[in-house]
This record gives sequence, structure tokens and C-alpha cells, in this order.
Amino acid sequence: MREIRTLIVDDSSVMRKIVERALRQAGLDSLVIHEAGSGTEGLEALRANPVDLILSDINMPMMDGLEFLRQIRVQNLAPGVPVVMITTESSEEHVKQAIQAGAQGYIRKPFTTEQVKERVLPLLQAA
Amino acid sequence: MLLNGVRNAAIARMQSDGKHGMEHTMALSLRESVHLVSDPKNLDASVEEVFHLMLGVRCEREAEPPVIEPESVTAVVGFGGLLSGACVFRSGGSAAMRIAARMTGMEFTEIDDTVKDGIGEICNMLAGAWKGKVPDLAANCGLSVPAVITGSDYNLHVQAPEFQLRHGYRFEDAWFGVTIVCDGLQ
Repeated sequence: MREIRTLIVDDSSVMRKIVERALRQAGLDSLVIHEAGSGTEGLEALRANPVDLILSDINMPMMDGLEFLRQIRVQNLAPGVPVVMITTESSEEHVKQAIQAGAQGYIRKPFTTEQVKERVLPLLQAA
Repeated sequence: MLLNGVRNAAIARMQSDGKHGMEHTMALSLRESVHLVSDPKNLDASVEEVFHLMLGVRCEREAEPPVIEPESVTAVVGFGGLLSGACVFRSGGSAAMRIAARMTGMEFTEIDDTVKDGIGEICNMLAGAWKGKVPDLAANCGLSVPAVITGSDYNLHVQAPEFQLRHGYRFEDAWFGVTIVCDGLQ
């Protein structure tokens, strides 16, 4: 199985570990993980490392997840790479905003491994 | 001061969201549905959801901690928008370490940055799950990033809140409290 280079952006290091564990439990064993604690750090990580998948929180200090998403598109940092938002914000309005900003998937915290599997694996297969 | 800080952060976050297309929502009012917003069942359901999905445990209501520990951990996430206030999580040090251990699969012997980070995230998810129970609130109330404090001999005081929900819970022998404070409702 090919390596899946994944960027996880969340201001909580605990949540980054939980997301990584959920991805592995979902069957993605060959992961190369890059971590970032804010949108700003996420952009820096993308400039330094090509990735196959991006998972990002929304509510973060310095640069939030939606602005991070817009900057990825504006700066053309990860063309064709699927982005999934993982966030406590669950309203349709927030989902709409994320999709408009360029996200392909949306997972609400708290989440199950099954939800991660359902939303992430099809995106990787389609990419 | 802490509560003011996180609430202001949540209000700023909500105003930022407004720049991206949510301005129209501020014409709404929650005054008519305050009974839904303050329904204590929503808090119980939020605790059940977060602790079951993230820690794999079931919680029971238990009003007071069986033992008062010398050191406690408190996390605060502010609400801003149609409702202003905060979600406050509080536990003794041993319960905080137990929760962080469940989240990460690690063992902790002290309240380090990982424990504080985990408790902040639990509070963040509780706040998000709680506001998500009322659709108008979910869409029109922003959350601040969590603030976490540790120590002993401190109390949270809010003058004349619109409403306050204060519940205690227990899983295994770990006790924690969750408080929803609403000090402004549009």
C-alpha cells in the first residue's frame, strides 16, 4: 500500500494524536504524518512537504481553519489534495462555509473511527 | 477576568464569521426559545456524547465530588453571538489525568501540558455539542479557543447570569463538573 502523506492541523496536540489514531484504525496504516498547530503553521508545512490529504480544525488561534483553506487555494499550495474539516462547529451554515472555502469533507467532533473511515477513504480513492 | 477574556474571544470569532456570510443571522432572537436553550437534558446528552465517543465511557450524574482534591483543573470555552457566556469544565487532578489517559492512551503522573490540552479539548467538544442541540444556537453562536487553569482554592463567580446549568458527573471513580453560564441572550 502506498504511503499517505497527511497534514493534520489542530491547535490541540491531543486532538492531532486522536485524529492520527482514528486514521490508522480506519485502515490507513502507511501514514506519513505532518502536524501543525494553526493555519499559519499549516501553510508553512504545505510549502515544505507535499501531501495527499489534509485534515483541519476550524476554531484555531492566529489563523483559523477556514482562512487556512482559502489560503491553500489562493496560493495554490495543494492542488487536487482533498481537505476534510474536523471541528466542533456543526451547523449547516458552518458546513456550507467550509465547502465554499474548498473543503471536500466535514467531520464533527466528537467523532467515531467509522465516521472518519466513511468520509476520508472515498476521497483518497477518488483523488 | 478569565471569563471576560474567553467570552470576548468568542464574540470576536463570531464577528469574524460574520464577515464570511453570517451577518443576516443576528436578526434572530433566542428569547422565545430560552426554555430549549436552558434545558438541562441538553447538557446531559452532550456529556454522554463526548465521553462515550471520545473516551468510551458512560457517565452518571453525581452532584458533588466524593473527595475534594488539593489541585484542580478548569477549562473555559467562551460563547459569543446570540448567546454570550461560557462552558466551564472542572475536575480534580486525578480525574483530569484519567480523562487525558483515556484520550491519548498514555499514562500521566502529573498535570502536564498534554493533560491541560486534553481537558481544554474536552471542554471545547462539550461546548460545541451543547450549542449544537439548538439549531439557532449552533449557527449563531461562536466558540472561543479553550483556556485552561490549574491550581487550588479558586472559584468561578458570575454576576446575575441569565441562566446557569451546573451538573456533576462520574465515570469509574473520576468525578467532574460541567457548568454552562449564560450572561447574555439576544
